[in-house]
Amino acid sequence: MPEFDLLTTTIIIGGLVAIVMSIVGYATLAERKVSAWIQDRVGPNRVGPLGLLQPLADGGKFFLKESPIPSHVDKIFYLLAPAAAMAIALLALAVVPWGGTTPPPKPVAVNMAADGKTPDYSKAVQRFDAEQGEYRNQFQGVIAPGLDIGIVYVFALGSLAIYGVILGGWSSDNKYSLLGSLRSSAQIISYEIPLGMSIVGVVLFAGSMNLETIIAWQKQNGWFLMFQPLAFLLFMVSVYAECNRLPFDLPEAEQELVGGYLTEYGSLKFGMFMLGEYTHMITTSFLMSIVFWGGWSLFGLEEVFTDPIAAAVLKAAILGGKMLGFLLLYIVIRWTIPRFRFDQLMGLAWKVMIPLSLLHLLAAMLVRQYGWSNWALTAISIGLFVAFGLVAAFKKIAPNNTPRRKVIPKMLPRVMVG
Amino acid sequence: MPIAESDIKWIEAPKLGFLEQLYLPIVYDGLKTTIGHIFGKSKTESYPEQEPKLPPNYRGVHRLNRDEQDRVKCVACYMCATACPAHCIDIVAAPAPAGWTDREKYPETFVIDELRCIYCGMCEEACPVDAIELTTLYDLTGYSREQLVFDKEKLLGIFDATTKSGTDPVRSRSGALGPASETAKA
Amino acid sequence: MPTVYVNDKPVEIGAEKLNCVQVAAKAGVEVPHYCYHPALSVVASCRMCLIEMGELKDGKVTMQPKVFPGCQTPVKDGTVIVTGDYAKRKGETALPYDPAYKPGDRTKKAQADTLEGLLLNHPLDCPVCDKAGECKLQDYSYEFGHGESRLMDAKNRPANKPELSSKITLFTDRCILCTRCVRFTREISGTSELQVVGRGHHEEIDVFPGFPLENKLSGNVVDLCPVGALGSKDFLYTQRVWYLKTTDNVCAGCSTGCSIHTDANKDIVYRLRPRENLENQGHFMCDEGRWGYHYTNAPDRITRPLTRIDGALKPTDWQSLSKLKETFEQAVFVSAKKSVAVLSPFLTVEEAYRLGAAFKSMHREIRLVLGPVPLTGVDDHYPKDVKGNAVAPTKFTIRAEKCPNRTGVESVLKKLQGEVISFADIAKLTLDAIWFAGGYPNPDVVDAAIPDDWAAPKLLIVQDLFHSKLTRAATTVLPATTAFEKDGTFVNHAGYVQSFHRSVKAPLEVRSELQLAFDLAGKKGLATVAAVRKDFAKELPQYASLAEIALNTNGRLTLATV
Repeated sequence: MPEFDLLTTTIIIGGLVAIVMSIVGYATLAERKVSAWIQDRVGPNRVGPLGLLQPLADGGKFFLKESPIPSHVDKIFYLLAPAAAMAIALLALAVVPWGGTTPPPKPVAVNMAADGKTPDYSKAVQRFDAEQGEYRNQFQGVIAPGLDIGIVYVFALGSLAIYGVILGGWSSDNKYSLLGSLRSSAQIISYEIPLGMSIVGVVLFAGSMNLETIIAWQKQNGWFLMFQPLAFLLFMVSVYAECNRLPFDLPEAEQELVGGYLTEYGSLKFGMFMLGEYTHMITTSFLMSIVFWGGWSLFGLEEVFTDPIAAAVLKAAILGGKMLGFLLLYIVIRWTIPRFRFDQLMGLAWKVMIPLSLLHLLAAMLVRQYGWSNWALTAISIGLFVAFGLVAAFKKIAPNNTPRRKVIPKMLPRVMVG
Repeated sequence: MPIAESDIKWIEAPKLGFLEQLYLPIVYDGLKTTIGHIFGKSKTESYPEQEPKLPPNYRGVHRLNRDEQDRVKCVACYMCATACPAHCIDIVAAPAPAGWTDREKYPETFVIDELRCIYCGMCEEACPVDAIELTTLYDLTGYSREQLVFDKEKLLGIFDATTKSGTDPVRSRSGALGPASETAKA
Repeated sequence: MPTVYVNDKPVEIGAEKLNCVQVAAKAGVEVPHYCYHPALSVVASCRMCLIEMGELKDGKVTMQPKVFPGCQTPVKDGTVIVTGDYAKRKGETALPYDPAYKPGDRTKKAQADTLEGLLLNHPLDCPVCDKAGECKLQDYSYEFGHGESRLMDAKNRPANKPELSSKITLFTDRCILCTRCVRFTREISGTSELQVVGRGHHEEIDVFPGFPLENKLSGNVVDLCPVGALGSKDFLYTQRVWYLKTTDNVCAGCSTGCSIHTDANKDIVYRLRPRENLENQGHFMCDEGRWGYHYTNAPDRITRPLTRIDGALKPTDWQSLSKLKETFEQAVFVSAKKSVAVLSPFLTVEEAYRLGAAFKSMHREIRLVLGPVPLTGVDDHYPKDVKGNAVAPTKFTIRAEKCPNRTGVESVLKKLQGEVISFADIAKLTLDAIWFAGGYPNPDVVDAAIPDDWAAPKLLIVQDLFHSKLTRAATTVLPATTAFEKDGTFVNHAGYVQSFHRSVKAPLEVRSELQLAFDLAGKKGLATVAAVRKDFAKELPQYASLAEIALNTNGRLTLATV
């Protein structure tokens, strides 16, 4: 890829955003369709053939609906919140690979010059330029290639997404909105921890936070799913909580909170929140595919074509397929597991997932330090999981916070009669 | 009122075993169910393309039955109007026309407000001469409220239409007169 | 003290001569009956009132082996009566019966069998029968009868007789031959139109050819009929009885002031029925009163205020009449001697008092005049003999004076101005202002009282139900209420006071006379009869007891004699 070129980058960004937006649109349709199928219904089938134009109709509706702003809201933040939610979600996509990539060149080691005293920068620079030139000339299926802090950037922006929720809930000046956003903040902060910890093991193994490098490592050594299944599980669960998806959709639990932080939002503003949420789902689906499922690699299948264009398309398709698989899993899980109670949610994060991720990290460090086989970590992962299950089953530390018999009656209001 | 302690029934959550604590087997079980349903057959009836198969005792639009001589069977006893919980039936009774030897009273007007009606079928239960019946016609629409206030002629028209199309309600004892006109046959 | 035992409950009868039905009623036990009626002779033909009977003597009860018709059997000291309801008795220690005797069983069987017999030929056309809902045959069959008929043969279906009378029709097949109607025409009206013809299964009620049931009390046979055989053509098929709201009221048809039940639905009067009141008219009422309520539903009734604009009466509203009081006051102030307020004998005592007081407070010299008193013929006494002459003892009287409250209004006038001025006296005079508080159901009465050469005063305010010569000359016409639409008190020809509650609401734009009187007197707030009664309790001591009445919705009457 040549040097930075505004036009090309704009085209790529524009094209990618368009694709993501249509994926988001069709994700909503898929959500409704799959939900319908799971419930033995047909789902939306009136707009266009098989209901395929439904997202267009929905989008048109969001645009054309009257957009009232309640008089009691804090107008600036109220309007800012959906914009923030969507913008942040889209920004995170910048570093997430969507097609074939090559790892960026490693920093060039500077050797001593012939005199052995001064570093020979010119050679290093030369080599660096050559490596960079080669890297740039290769096609990279990512908007911003070669970002060293890649995964940290994604997490940073993912955490920012909470701002959309909190701003929306706060500025709405509505108790349901506020409760929803409070729940959301508590939930997202809690799950950030296992989310981040679960990924550290991967970073340790791959030796880079760059996503392309992580893919490349997996291409070489095998998917992280195989070596760190526990990390994947923790990552997936945390990501579900981050996305406010069932079984962790407490911030917008309709039965309890009307619409949660969305209560006061309508038309396009509601639509932007939804776009942000679905974009977040897409980002995280990409992340799961990339970090644990080998990205665009698929047991050598990705190298069937020698033609560079065909190969790029195939890699994008493999990665896209994995991503769509995770997107579907999101939807299916929604109708599989009922919503957690809030204390159960918190218990799960703090009593189970955080200790588990800490132990897992420790194990990963040990394996790395003593150079044990990667498979050792697989065994330790499974062992840890089973051990926690045993402890939970027999020691009652599981997130089972059912009110105890003796506690609650004292809390009931007592009125003296007579 | 505080809840009396004696009224509180404490139910312990069932204890989770090892496999349940692992969650994954249960999630797998659940996924089996939900994914199984994805490939199952849809139970949706695509009305209007697909006509619903209604049970023969479905309670739809009313009709006023005719007797063998094509006269309105109703004797204007007001039982339906009395039984109606929605007060949607309005009858004006009058002495039967001179030629009607078997009865003294008949409905001069008989109006049902189909919008007010809750289709409970009490009118049909109450009718001593099986004159009013709920048919299986379900697609009741109109452009105005007035259109859905059915008068005697319209209700008799529904009888003609449903008997012609062979969609008699099963509860109909067509032909068999009730006690009030029992003696007419005797 | 002579004591009778009804279902083991001792009842002291004193010196009264009672039959078993009456004694049971005293004990709070209902003995079902059709043919028995307290105002008619006893025939014991329906056999519904069968009871078991015995005697308590020397500490031992001796029961008769058969059942007896309760209506025909007098009681004496020591009589023991056992009805079919014996099992339902409460708290009484059992009399010393023969241990083998099972009290009540025989009666129960007898009642059920009687009903089976009565229902043999009954068409069971309750859906089309107007009596359904208040039918004794329905009630007793439900309570005492068999569940089903064992009759295999065809029922008798005698033809209906709508030609029985111009007002009454006979559904012959529904009749159970209790002969109450026959006895009524023989004993109360004395006109004897009805009789039983035929024998056995073919007995029917009928009239002689060419002599239909046409007398002034004929409507009573409809009430007397315990089943739906006799129907009033006026009420026929108009309403089902369970829709009707019944209130106790007083008939405004004549100065007898019969106690009546008013049956109305959705503020429309559909039927009047006599209310048993032995202190007043007895059990019955006349046809004129019974079917004379139609004026209250009449379409040509004045239902909103009218005022004369450019020589024609135009509808107006009460707001624009707010100056009416000042206008009349001014006229009275200018020439009090030529100002007159007319209070009709259709007003209640309360209205007359409040209106009279209001006018008198305008000026001492304004004259209060009793409105025209309608008189037709002479008092009509019943029963009559064959020639149509009244026979003593009189059992019912239709008064010639066709207004309910002349006595009451006169008592008010005497109190307020010491004398009663008749309308005829002032009809001859030329006056400046007249306030005519009417309420005449028949405008002919007013027309007849106005002389042909009558000169209308400059200010004529007429409050009436219908248009008459007066309204046609009036400057302002106000609507009036009927007796069904107001609370109040009537005093009948004999000074018998009856207060009553309204049965229906007045039409929307009609303001009650009492409210009008309040407005005229400048009183604030809503007019209630209770307030007025408290007012005149001091000044009219004969009505003092009225102040104590709290009228409930049922409008029970308290009685006093003026």
